[in-house]
Amino acid sequence: MVKDRNSFIFRLLSTLFVILAINFFLPRMMPGDPFSTTSADEVGEEIIVMTEEQRLYYMNYYGLDRPLYEQFLVYMKNLMTGDLGRSIYYKMPVSDVIMLHLPWTVLIVVGATVISTISGVVLGTLSAKNRKKGSDRIMMTGMIAFAEIPSFLLGLILLLVFSVYLRLFPLAGAVTPFADYNGPAEQAWDILYHAFLPVATLSLSQLTGVYLLTRNTLITVTTKDYIRTARAKGLGEKTVWIRHALRNALLPVVTRTGFMIGIMMGGVVLVESVFSYPGIGMTLRSAVVGRDYPLIQGILLVIAVSILICNMLVDKIYGKLDPRVVI
Amino acid sequence: MIKDVAASGNAGILSFIQALNINRIVSSIARTFSRFRTIAKPFSRFSTEGKIGVLGILCIILMAVFAPVITIYPPQKITGDSLEPPGPGHILGTDELGMDIWSQICYGARMSLTIGLAVAFLSGFGGGAVGILAGYMGGHIDQGLMRVIDVTMALPSFPLLIVISAFLGPSILNVILILVLFSWAKPARIARSQTLSLKKNNYIIAARNYGAKPFYLLWRHIFPEVMPVLLVLVIGISSHAIIAEAGLAFLGLGDPTSKSWGMMLNHATGFRSIYFTPYWQWWLLPPLFMLIFLLLCLAFISRDMERILDPKLKIKKGF
Repeated sequence: MVKDRNSFIFRLLSTLFVILAINFFLPRMMPGDPFSTTSADEVGEEIIVMTEEQRLYYMNYYGLDRPLYEQFLVYMKNLMTGDLGRSIYYKMPVSDVIMLHLPWTVLIVVGATVISTISGVVLGTLSAKNRKKGSDRIMMTGMIAFAEIPSFLLGLILLLVFSVYLRLFPLAGAVTPFADYNGPAEQAWDILYHAFLPVATLSLSQLTGVYLLTRNTLITVTTKDYIRTARAKGLGEKTVWIRHALRNALLPVVTRTGFMIGIMMGGVVLVESVFSYPGIGMTLRSAVVGRDYPLIQGILLVIAVSILICNMLVDKIYGKLDPRVVI
Repeated sequence: MIKDVAASGNAGILSFIQALNINRIVSSIARTFSRFRTIAKPFSRFSTEGKIGVLGILCIILMAVFAPVITIYPPQKITGDSLEPPGPGHILGTDELGMDIWSQICYGARMSLTIGLAVAFLSGFGGGAVGILAGYMGGHIDQGLMRVIDVTMALPSFPLLIVISAFLGPSILNVILILVLFSWAKPARIARSQTLSLKKNNYIIAARNYGAKPFYLLWRHIFPEVMPVLLVLVIGISSHAIIAEAGLAFLGLGDPTSKSWGMMLNHATGFRSIYFTPYWQWWLLPPLFMLIFLLLCLAFISRDMERILDPKLKIKKGF
């Protein structure tokens, strides 16, 4: 993985460039323009049709009438200075809009990563310990079947069962609207309460991968000589499993966790839609519907960059954890 | 969501093989039978889940093909009151416009299957052909293609899918094209690596020395060898395509004139106060159930195919 450092960096950079290019050119080629939908926000609201003159004024104001390459150069220049442009719908800087919604996405993605990694490792260890017993077979068949359900369908099922049928969890949103909190503890509880189902959905959809990886690596590791040595030394089963076997088996799990974040950043758009969770996924959806070019660009960029950063971090951490890998 | 299955799939296959302990049997079978025969008659060696999967897919295909026969009402016409509960007139009830849900389910199967099959075959065999050619020719073409594949596989596919399909406009053809654009890289990569190892074999070198033309070599020697792996991939890709189509449609980016299962989910969840009324029971559950059923069937088949066709697939896939 780290063997070919240059090609790895080349790959990251070229991926970033392709994303930037797609990111820039595609929204501009979409049919329609942002000003044809600006005024029709709410049902019942009076629809104001812009005159041609007004439209041209706005096209000019946002720089949409200049040649494409010029817009691209300006875009790149602004990116370098951290300026993502102004959202056409929200009428504020894109970076502010993203900052407003990103924490929610980070909350559920990080929560799901932690939960699925920990529970995946625990279940995988249990399964590997009980290998060749019935409980392992049942657990594995169940988990594998489970893994085939895409996360948004899983989310819908959870929503129907827990929110609609059992009425245990809220149907939508990240906080109770118009709530008055008595102190931060109550507010934190409210946020966790709303985040529970989205986090559960994401973790469940990622759980199987971690579980299988842990189980399989553990099974391979336990056949190694140093495990036999540890047992021969008279170490307890617990020490052998946790200190000797699990520690070595966790290496691939670390890699997996990094990629998992990337995968989840992609899937989170749908999951947020299911739960009407106000993260960047929901924002992306409404931006596509409203043809808010700068916002779409910004969100895609944030998602893409976070995925690339995760891959890079995994690469770095792996080198640190496993001294056998030479950087 | 979309890149996920590669990793978990690999792990899954391996552990499945370990759990069922059929390595030995399969390798002996693989030795005795030629590859094409193993494709022709795999059903008898399918596990129980695999058989269920095949039967399930057959049911769905029959449903799609005979949709006009087994439904009374056309799916796009208003044939009843709005939101009728299931009853003798409408087996599964009606949606908010009064269209029959059972008809929509049957005709929706066509949509999912078409997209799955079209994307899988185009990207599986198209990507496979590209990979075989690149692997066979080598040199700069091969290097260039590998770079393109690397970048394609590193792209965050689903967010890009959303934006591109919004840009191209919602139609079945566009959805298929976009999905192909994002899924050809994996088969190409695997076909390439297989070709690279195959072309060093003595029998291929011998054939070339006897004057075999490149096309003959590729068609008669290399393609049949790569074929089984591609077939397994095709199933995986088709289930990805079905998921992606359903996801796009769920977001409202599907073909608005078609009634796919994803579109039904979109309409149902977009209906105000659907969760406060009993309507979800017959409007939201059927498409949800059908999608999950279809995906599980495909998954079962794909696992069994992998197991039967090539127990060492995991190693070849493990890039």
